[in-house]
Amino acid sequence: MASNFKLTELMVVRCAKEINDGEVVFAGVGLPLVVVGFAMITHAQNMILFTEGGSIRATAPPGLAITVDDPALFCNGDATFGMLATMAALQRGEVDVAFIGGAQIDKHGNINSTGVGDWSKPDSFTYFAGSGGANDMATSGKRVLAIMPQDPKKFVEKVDYLTTPGYLDGPGARKKLGMIGGGPSVVVSTMGVYKFDESTREMYLAEYFPGQTVDKVRANCSFDLNVASNVKETEPPTEQELTILRGIDPTGFYLG
Amino acid sequence: MAAVRDKRMTLKEAVSKYVNDGDTVYYGGFQIHVPMALTHEIIRQKKKKLNIINASTDVGGLDLLVAAGCVDEMHLAWAMNWYVKAPYAIRRAFQSGQLKRFDLSNFGATSALIAGFLGIPFIPVRGNIGTDMIKHNTTDAKVVEDPFTGSKITVVRAWRADVAIIHAQKVDRLGNVVTWGTRGVTDEFGTMGTKRGVIVTAEEVIEPEEVRSDPDRTLVPYFKTLAVVHCPWGAHPSACRGYYGLDIRFSQYQGKYERSAELLPTFMKEWIYDCEDHAAYVKKYISKFGQQGLDRLKPVLGFEPKMKVDYGYHDPAVWKGVPQYTDEHIKA
Repeated sequence: MASNFKLTELMVVRCAKEINDGEVVFAGVGLPLVVVGFAMITHAQNMILFTEGGSIRATAPPGLAITVDDPALFCNGDATFGMLATMAALQRGEVDVAFIGGAQIDKHGNINSTGVGDWSKPDSFTYFAGSGGANDMATSGKRVLAIMPQDPKKFVEKVDYLTTPGYLDGPGARKKLGMIGGGPSVVVSTMGVYKFDESTREMYLAEYFPGQTVDKVRANCSFDLNVASNVKETEPPTEQELTILRGIDPTGFYLG
Repeated sequence: MAAVRDKRMTLKEAVSKYVNDGDTVYYGGFQIHVPMALTHEIIRQKKKKLNIINASTDVGGLDLLVAAGCVDEMHLAWAMNWYVKAPYAIRRAFQSGQLKRFDLSNFGATSALIAGFLGIPFIPVRGNIGTDMIKHNTTDAKVVEDPFTGSKITVVRAWRADVAIIHAQKVDRLGNVVTWGTRGVTDEFGTMGTKRGVIVTAEEVIEPEEVRSDPDRTLVPYFKTLAVVHCPWGAHPSACRGYYGLDIRFSQYQGKYERSAELLPTFMKEWIYDCEDHAAYVKKYISKFGQQGLDRLKPVLGFEPKMKVDYGYHDPAVWKGVPQYTDEHIKA
């Protein structure tokens, strides 16, 4: 086990373990691209990668893909149709893992990537990028994997703008609106790992990272944090995992 | 429909002739192939009241267009300079009320472009339902009852631009646009759905015979193209597949100006208004950051297709004089 690693690095390695070999993974821009790159050359060599830019590939790209239509994704890819083909597969229900980031998340896993403030009062609203494909992925992917830094401004009671549906206001809400995807399954932050209670559809802390504690996580979360009775410490990454990971993003563009 | 003719012209001519104040413009590219040279020229010509439609766009091209006061409305899913993690000018313009923004998801926006491509008024799409996009953008999306099953579904209205601006790897003088490494992400729909047609900048202008030797790669056929502009580095600082990579350092440099309303006019003057055309912008880049700045963007090549393709055809003349095939069950 390594002792010298960044929390972002552990976040990526831990998140990769949520991907099972052979799954179809739709990865959004940012850290998800690093995670899938890592998974595809470690334990998930039969994973299939989809992106909004239209890449469909069974092998890891030759270099770090910084964008979802990065030229690296189209070198020796399996098919390159554009957004239509990959998003169509989502809508047909063929994507196992919808893998996204975001700016704010609430306890039901609803995500905001549009902005903070009151949208109806434009002078109060600070725009971020917007949905991109996150909404489509989280609506129709069989399960949603989210990755975002732990911060009380990011883990909030209520998202300022609901861009991407989690479980909305609780059990049954997604189904009522005809969403085919199963909703959020796991959220990995820079301090721990969250899962969702099957009956309440609320997030709970399942693991905390080495060097963190439940109290530290609670202090960095703005909603009333549920904690699993068997909450445990996440295993640190191995030296080998870190070497592979740092080889994927040698300049630290995403890993910092 | 544009005729078979030589459509080559300068960047300046293309924009002055085919972009009008008040136009709805399909803004091409995605995180790469952003039409930056066209963006700069639209800014230089001070076009006004544009309505931008697009799925997602990066490297701050749209941020500059908004900062220059060219844009009244944008309908899209994602606008960013990812390398400074914000769309600063867009943010300020929304806050001041100068810019109206209509948000959809990526496939919501793409579906709206597909409906325009198909010539139909609207199209159902999964996604958007249950969110604040549906609440705030009733111009583009509504939730309706599926007439067949009675369940709820989002529909988005068709988006048809007046004119599309795109950057591509190659184009011939007639306007056949050639790309590879995706079917354009969404450019294949945004361009074909236009009412008037497409302005294309390209790294290379090639012969129509070359295009016709491999027509599977044609993204936009000549009849939709209005103007052909030979424009190397036309997507910089975004990437152009096979020609150059993303200029992360320049995107960050530009982004630092985008962040500040006070500083941004200095960037705009230096890199846009004081550059007569895109060649002048590239020259300025070399004088400021050196030839090594451009050399750093050289792609790793060696990914040529290994599969040899021959389109081939069959000449029906071989049947001349060949008698009907027959056997004991059927009469000749």
